[in-house]
Amino acid sequence: MAEHGGFPSADPMTDEAEPDINDGLRIVSYSTNREGRCIRHQDHGWQPVNIVNRQAWQEIEKSIGASKKKVAVGSVSCLHYYMTAHQMTPALLARYTGQSSWLVRLHLVPFIYKRLGRATLQKYAELFQVSIADLTGGELRPPIYCRG
Amino acid sequence: MEYEPTFPHRQSAHCESGVVANLIRQRGIEISEAMAFGIGRGLFFGYFPFIRINGLPLVTYRSVAGQIIRQFSRLPGFTLQRQTFRDRDRAMGELDAVLAAGHPVGLQTGVFWLPYFPRALRFHFNAHNLVVYGKQGEDYLVSDPVFPAPVRCAAPDLARARFASGALAPRGKMYYFAATPEHFDCRPHLRSGIRGVCRAMLGSRFPLIGTRGIRFLAGRLERWPARLGRERAILHLGHVVRMQEEIGTGGAGFRFMFAAFLQESAEMLREQLLQDSSAALVAAGDLWRDFAAMATRICKERTRPGDSYDELAGLLRSCADREESVFRTLNRWAG
Repeated sequence: MAEHGGFPSADPMTDEAEPDINDGLRIVSYSTNREGRCIRHQDHGWQPVNIVNRQAWQEIEKSIGASKKKVAVGSVSCLHYYMTAHQMTPALLARYTGQSSWLVRLHLVPFIYKRLGRATLQKYAELFQVSIADLTGGELRPPIYCRG
Repeated sequence: MEYEPTFPHRQSAHCESGVVANLIRQRGIEISEAMAFGIGRGLFFGYFPFIRINGLPLVTYRSVAGQIIRQFSRLPGFTLQRQTFRDRDRAMGELDAVLAAGHPVGLQTGVFWLPYFPRALRFHFNAHNLVVYGKQGEDYLVSDPVFPAPVRCAAPDLARARFASGALAPRGKMYYFAATPEHFDCRPHLRSGIRGVCRAMLGSRFPLIGTRGIRFLAGRLERWPARLGRERAILHLGHVVRMQEEIGTGGAGFRFMFAAFLQESAEMLREQLLQDSSAALVAAGDLWRDFAAMATRICKERTRPGDSYDELAGLLRSCADREESVFRTLNRWAG
């Protein structure tokens, strides 16, 4: 994923600047003040959680990158990219499209994927909000959460 | 000029307690988020390695989604209408009908499909609660409790979010208060809220729940580097921290929010014991924070001397000890 804009802030845990991961969203949390009373306050999120969130995203990006390579060499269909980019597994993708998961697994095979009918492709196109032409042409559009 | 509905939106730390507090406040009853969290018995601990989220074990620091709402629906004078759906169009039609009748509606949604969410938080997490309080054209007016101000969401996106699939699928769940009491006095319900949380934290025979669960996790965590290898162990650890910090709990997995509830209760009932318990729970929360900080240092491979998985497990065990003593005291008080 692209770099996040936002406010760099000093990180007391690791002594380095961390970009803000929540796109500048200020969230509310509870903590204590000097007198030991619990108070509600607004901030950009606690550093450790931002760090582990970024770690989770790096993991996702890594698998997206691996998937793109596999699609490029033709060992999986471009459906594999769309599935991975949307953080799905064959089981979850199957739930969303109302199919059985072994069917989805088959669709990840390029040979079978190329022979899919319009109706099946339509399901995937609707879910990932791309056109059927994108799916048949092997166009790798960015995932939904990275668009406009 | 079209009529613009309003809603007493107040930003919250946790979605479900925030939604319940905001819905009740809309009916003219003043209640804080912490109060709703406490009366709704929101605090919990559970480690469920057989339920997987993105392939990682489920760790939860609060009660099951829907618990707070369920508790409130049982209070005298509160009538809660709740529905789930099979059909998307029917679900959206019913939402419009209830909105037209003038009720703000609470919805369970999947965050992945909500376009107004910062993309860094768009995971497949399906137990997010929000309030829809109006519709303008094709946009719904949404009071999402973790956001500073109300937002808008297009109808097709909201429909997708309501019918997210996977673990904890919402199946279009919607709820609203059809009736609330004219005057609501929190005081009689404080004790039962506290009792409920104490039972959940202490009383389970199941070793993965409550303070026993924390110790169980400590035992597992110690062995992660040997069992899973360095890389997978780090992923697991990061996941534990991520669940602990699930949007805006200030780094102590809801402990601080429950402490705020105890503090408020102490003032209402003039009870010193609750005040002391609140302080003790804050101390436990601080330990959770230390745990998260150390875990993050290990994840980033920027360890300081003394940071290790064994040390982390030790911290967890002292969290468990402290919480156990807090809840034992509270349990005796609540009877």
